[in-house]
Amino acid sequence: MKGHRFSFLLGAAALLAACAAPSAPAATTVPTRPSEAAAAPVTLNIIMEQVPDYDIVASLTRQFEAEHPNIKITFDAMPYDAMRDKILTSALAPSASYDVIIVDNPWMDEFARAGFLLPLDDYIARAPDYDFNDFVGPLRDIGVVDGKVYGVPYYNYALGLIVRQDLFDNPDYQAKFQQEFGKPLQVPTTLEDYVAVGKFFKSQGIFGAAMQPQRGYKIFEEWKNWLYAAGGNLLDAAGNVIIDNAAAQQALEMYIDMYKNAAPPNSVNWGFDEALRSMSSGESATMLSYNWMLPTLNKPDGPAGELAGKFALHEVPGGKAVLGAWHWAIPKNTASADAAWTYIAWITSKAIDKQRVIAGGAPTRVSVMQDREVWEKGFGQQYYETVLKILEDAEPLARGARAEEIINEVGTELNSAVAGEKDVAAALAAAAQKTRAILARP
Amino acid sequence: MLKPPLTFKHRLVLPLLLSLVLILGYPLAFSLWISLHDYQLTAIEQARWVGWAQYFTILAQNASFWNALGNTVRFVGIAVSLELVFGLLLALLLHRKATPFRHFFRAALLVPMFVTPIAVGLMFRFLLNSQLGVVPSVLRALGITIDWFSAQQALITLALIDVWQWTPFMLLLLLAGLESLPEEPFEAARVDGASPLQIFWHLTLPMLRPTILAAVVIRMLDAFKVYEYVYAITRGGPGESTETIQYHIYRVGFLYFRLGEASAMSYILIAVILMLVVLLFYALRRESLSQR
Repeated sequence: MKGHRFSFLLGAAALLAACAAPSAPAATTVPTRPSEAAAAPVTLNIIMEQVPDYDIVASLTRQFEAEHPNIKITFDAMPYDAMRDKILTSALAPSASYDVIIVDNPWMDEFARAGFLLPLDDYIARAPDYDFNDFVGPLRDIGVVDGKVYGVPYYNYALGLIVRQDLFDNPDYQAKFQQEFGKPLQVPTTLEDYVAVGKFFKSQGIFGAAMQPQRGYKIFEEWKNWLYAAGGNLLDAAGNVIIDNAAAQQALEMYIDMYKNAAPPNSVNWGFDEALRSMSSGESATMLSYNWMLPTLNKPDGPAGELAGKFALHEVPGGKAVLGAWHWAIPKNTASADAAWTYIAWITSKAIDKQRVIAGGAPTRVSVMQDREVWEKGFGQQYYETVLKILEDAEPLARGARAEEIINEVGTELNSAVAGEKDVAAALAAAAQKTRAILARP
Repeated sequence: MLKPPLTFKHRLVLPLLLSLVLILGYPLAFSLWISLHDYQLTAIEQARWVGWAQYFTILAQNASFWNALGNTVRFVGIAVSLELVFGLLLALLLHRKATPFRHFFRAALLVPMFVTPIAVGLMFRFLLNSQLGVVPSVLRALGITIDWFSAQQALITLALIDVWQWTPFMLLLLLAGLESLPEEPFEAARVDGASPLQIFWHLTLPMLRPTILAAVVIRMLDAFKVYEYVYAITRGGPGESTETIQYHIYRVGFLYFRLGEASAMSYILIAVILMLVVLLFYALRRESLSQR
């Protein structure tokens, strides 16, 4: 079937190119045999998502190039939507356009099982002082597929509960909440408390939660925290689909209750940007979002303006959070695998990772999050300890070769329920049926 | 004397024919071939023949496909009929010699047509945004609240955006049609004392019908391809309420990498559009025959 690859490339390249967003032109890759990588000059082309973490990596990379004069790095930074297509076309081509790629959590199993990625076990075993086990366990596990390591953590995007701490500490609100509910106003640790707190704040003129029920990825990512808190999951330990069980039903009913009675009106299509705007403008009291949004919100010249410093990060209600992560990986068809690993090992080494996190990058290593220098120069001890707690008790958004499809299909059904197009039972039944059909495909 | 197998004129068109086969024929043939296979981009080595079962499964079991097709037909119906009404009204207005600044308006009204649809989508995404948008803000000041992207409203909103962008196209064609109509029947009607409404109903509209049909066919074919507004604004949501057929095919083909299934859906879509076009052309032909 090798000919099919070429047929596909000839026939579908134009289609893929038309769908992909424009990006910087790819730099020429100097082909080198692995044995020559250390000696001969090599240019590594790296695909990146255009996010703040990329800026930090790009800035650190100058240091790498100074230390490794034979390896030149060029980045092809682009929006998220364009990345998967580009990685796929590069992986299907006889020679790779990218020598290093970053892989999002839902793509890891898919790309590894498709044979696109190079196993990194031997590289990791040979790397001196690399300490792979220093990466937080759940993060590390995302890069392991069928017992082999295909990815090394780049940054995490586990979810936490970000709150306006000043509202929770306000004596007036505390007294009113005590009077109404007979208990102190505290950052919620259960779904019941979260909904109650959300409704309470709405009754005080502040929306209880800036939610993200947007169809597909966003609602799946947010609601799955509710699902965990209700004791549910997508699949049970045996791999059976259980997204239509009683726990899921309870989680979705409570989620919709919160949306209808505590979230800003007409926010059924809200995603990350809208929720962030709502929090930073002081419109909402809480949101479930990426843990690293806290420093952004508390930045004196950041989006929250005068509210900067009033936000705090906590574990999500129920404790167990949805974990997302990007991993560094090496495409199997690159001609510069050794040089690629040299770069990955450098950028994820303890010393450089520490610099990355101090500069504002999302942490991945336990030692870095427990480092006093990081606490002092970064965002404080409490922040890193909370992030570590969140990461240690987190579970990936979805696993398996069809994670992307499951996330989107289930997310569509969940959004239908929030929008009132389907009732909770029908939406979950449809989500379960679609998930079973997706998993049953050969 | 033996004639050469290819005459000079045939040899002249040969490069064009070969280019067409390469550019159009090969992708079409290849996509037909993969539409009969379980062909996934992440498992090309395991591609296997499934034959017409792929088509049968889509037609008989794929509720999302039918929903997307239904949404597309509704979108086309709303958008093209409104474009026709507004386009005709504007064309009549700009056809009147008494309309002030009509040459300026002719040029100005064409502007939306020259903006790329993805930019139009992004523009309206912000204009109608409940937090930042000018439109909701002005409406709120007037005491009106509209959720432009609710499950019930979102498809209509997308159709209205299409109307904003493509009414000028309808205007252009209909104005050209109006200007090509002969003057004599109108003068005779006016001499006979016909009212402007009677003239419009009994003369303008029947004489303009071939132009209207052609304009509607062209706009329908174009509106069936709606993708950019959906991608830029709603991504098919809430639920599946704005998932159009092109967006659905994109999702299956380029998000889930099931290119075989996406190709089969494309062929079904081609068949549906062809049927519509044949019906409309049949109507057009009957119209021209009846006028002879």
